[in-house]
Amino acid sequence: MKQLINNHKPWLILLVLFMLVYPFIVGHSGYMVSIFVMICIYAISAMSLDLLIGYGGQISIGHAGFLSIGGYTVAILTSKLGLPFLLTLPLAGVVTGIIGLFIGLPAVRLSGHFLAVVTLGFGLSIPQIALNWDSLTGGYSGLSLMRPSFLSSDLQFFYVIVVMTVLITWLLHNILKSRMGRAFLAIRESEVAAQATGINVPFYKTVMFVISSFFTGLAGGLYGYWIGFVSPNDFTVVTSFLLLGMIVVGGLASIPGAVIGAIIFTVLPELTRSFVGVTNIIIGLAVVLIILFRPHGLISLFDAFKAKSKRKAGNDQDLLISEQEQGGTVKDVNI
Amino acid sequence: MLTFKDVTVKFAGVTAVKNLSFDVPEGKIFSIIGPNGAGKTTVFNCISRFYTPASGSIEMNGTDLLKLKSHQVIREGIARSFQNVELFANMTVLDNLLTGLHPNLKKNIFSIALNLPSVKRTEKESIKKAYEVMDLLSITDLAHEKVSNLPFGYQKMVDIGRAIIAEPKLILLDEPVAGMNPVETEKISQLILRLKQEMNYTVLLIEHDMSLVMKVSDYVTVMSFGEKIAEGLPKDIQKNPVVIEAYLGEVEDGAEII
Amino acid sequence: MQIIVSGLIFGCIYALAALGLVLIFKTTEVANFAHGEMAMLTTFVSYVFLTSYGFPYLVSLVLALLFATIFGLFVYFVFMKRVQSAPHLNQVVLTLGLFMVFNGVAGIIWGYQPSSFPEAFHGDPYEIGGVFISLNEIFVVILTLILMLGFFLLFRFTRLGLAMRAASQDTMASELMGIKVSGVFMGAWAIGTALGGIGGMMTAPVTFLSPNMMSEVLILAFAGAVLGGFISLPGAVFGGLIIGVIENLISYYIAPELKIVFVFLLILIVLYIRPQGIFGGAKIIKKV
Repeated sequence: MKQLINNHKPWLILLVLFMLVYPFIVGHSGYMVSIFVMICIYAISAMSLDLLIGYGGQISIGHAGFLSIGGYTVAILTSKLGLPFLLTLPLAGVVTGIIGLFIGLPAVRLSGHFLAVVTLGFGLSIPQIALNWDSLTGGYSGLSLMRPSFLSSDLQFFYVIVVMTVLITWLLHNILKSRMGRAFLAIRESEVAAQATGINVPFYKTVMFVISSFFTGLAGGLYGYWIGFVSPNDFTVVTSFLLLGMIVVGGLASIPGAVIGAIIFTVLPELTRSFVGVTNIIIGLAVVLIILFRPHGLISLFDAFKAKSKRKAGNDQDLLISEQEQGGTVKDVNI
Repeated sequence: MLTFKDVTVKFAGVTAVKNLSFDVPEGKIFSIIGPNGAGKTTVFNCISRFYTPASGSIEMNGTDLLKLKSHQVIREGIARSFQNVELFANMTVLDNLLTGLHPNLKKNIFSIALNLPSVKRTEKESIKKAYEVMDLLSITDLAHEKVSNLPFGYQKMVDIGRAIIAEPKLILLDEPVAGMNPVETEKISQLILRLKQEMNYTVLLIEHDMSLVMKVSDYVTVMSFGEKIAEGLPKDIQKNPVVIEAYLGEVEDGAEII
Repeated sequence: MQIIVSGLIFGCIYALAALGLVLIFKTTEVANFAHGEMAMLTTFVSYVFLTSYGFPYLVSLVLALLFATIFGLFVYFVFMKRVQSAPHLNQVVLTLGLFMVFNGVAGIIWGYQPSSFPEAFHGDPYEIGGVFISLNEIFVVILTLILMLGFFLLFRFTRLGLAMRAASQDTMASELMGIKVSGVFMGAWAIGTALGGIGGMMTAPVTFLSPNMMSEVLILAFAGAVLGGFISLPGAVFGGLIIGVIENLISYYIAPELKIVFVFLLILIVLYIRPQGIFGGAKIIKKV
């Protein structure tokens, strides 16, 4: 375990360094920086969704609704009430978290397909509400908002987003590897056994929804500030599918998996953006192929590679007899 | 310690358990035996609060269990294993055991998210505890193995380990040696005896394997068709004609009964 | 009254789509989120028969349904069969992936511009007791009724129906009893897709023909299926009809744009009170 962390640390530091110098590498290209920011926003959302789906086993196919709520929260609070950035951004998380609570409460009683339909309905409803609640949301024309003066340049705000992404990743990582993360996994694996080990299943299911929507709301808030404008068409049901695609293609229940998925599904549509049909086919095919042939996502390629090199290192004894077995997934088991 | 009083359980008109009363004394191994479908697991599921009896009362040291929800039962010091192992299959052995410690770890979301030193410390203690339990079960070398990769016998061990790690007062074991070979059975019976003698646990055991029951039990209750037909010391039960009769039909096709 | 009758007619379309969904779910335990897109493709195919080949409506309908049947089998064999024992999440995500693929395929072949689609029957609406109803709407209602009746008879009185009921109860046991479960699953996908296709062809004259025409129908059909408990065929029909009426009432009295929001709130409330849906009894699971 210790070895694994030691192995990961230099890579993580390198990754953070890369994020910090990225604008200079791409020569301050607004387009490239913008793509990077969208990757960050989607990565936060995908990790949050992964907490709910990959770890907790609770499906949501309307998660883009939470992104919208986050975006609208900062837009409304800034433009209508004139609240400062340092207050609106956390509030974006809090407001979205509260909405998540309202979705989570009934969701606790539902399982599988019923939950899928309810969350889909939620994802469809949010843009409709945004479109029709003119007085609050500006309806079809949306709402524009100003960044605070000390963060007015794109470069400054880029760093805000990088710091937030790193921070949220760290927080989510801590939550997921804690007793709370284990409780989520336990609920996914067996609700009966989870209950027998003293896990309050309905409570933790609600908590999952709240945490997940809180962080997604933050991502939505960041998006609102980055673009300076929110509209009902920013995050539709297709975005929800995209988020779902990200975590599935990247690999469920894995933070790096969610990030890989976010990168792929942010860059792919950019490459094919002039053809909606092609974009849909590519995204759809990617999801279909992964489910059929790599149900544990791209990240499982790494695990398989790791296991292979470990076995090569000399201990190809039967796993159960082998005493030196130190950790990691060795066999790729289909659930 | 654990008291059943006139407990009756019905499913859609069928009576699964009828007027069952018994009392599990502290520090003893108490076994419930009986042919298939006698209602033994139903008894466990009532204690775990997955089922609610139609009438009667279940008390643990004077606390009314029927007022609790499933996840609160463990707080009264009752942990259980499952007949067909209900493990968290895609988690490692270590994580399964750590999940068993859930009720003992009280930490709020903020300290967890920030990974404060107090969280790190309790986490370290938990892992140490988990290794102690794995040592006891001699499965330490499997700590990082996914449970679904283990043979059934080891899974049963993990299931028992997850129940004892939270240091309950009473452990419910649902057919701990079902599907095990004689060597494994012997290991488990040693373990059950150690639980009682060295760690002062009270054990409520459901089992088909008569050799195990006779070896470890202090008291035996026999159930048939949802009713208690006999109760007493193992050696008396063995001679009890009512019990033998209830089991006769079973002996022919049930090879587990030795 | 007019609102309720129009709602019921729309409800018939939702009921048809929901019936296909429930049929597939009940037998194979897959909630098919690509159902609407499959129906959309079927409708496009019928459109090709109608315009490019100039076949009469009824011939096109039959040919399109033939296509739907084969299409359903294709989806089952190529995709769904492989994930039959995978977790529900994988199945749901797979159908969502197919949703995107079918949507993209239709977009590339036929473009995203909506075009008009003919009705089965033309003619001025009749007035019956103060309610206006067109010949085409009568056709929709009668078609739905015939299909319902057909299903009822199929499930009650034929061997296939018995096999379907058995397979949906317990796959393993049915297999052991000599029921060809894969055959039953094939049947469910073929018939389910055809039902969706009929729903699509009934929808197209109203919404115009486009790759996105079924997304709203799909969610409303799902709402109907959920209201009906997701495993009950009559439940799906009643659920679809109820959704149709409610949708129309909301459109008329509140705002047409907000109908999805209110339907969503409705299913949320219903499921909060009865997590198993109105017709999906917890203890006595009602199977047709």
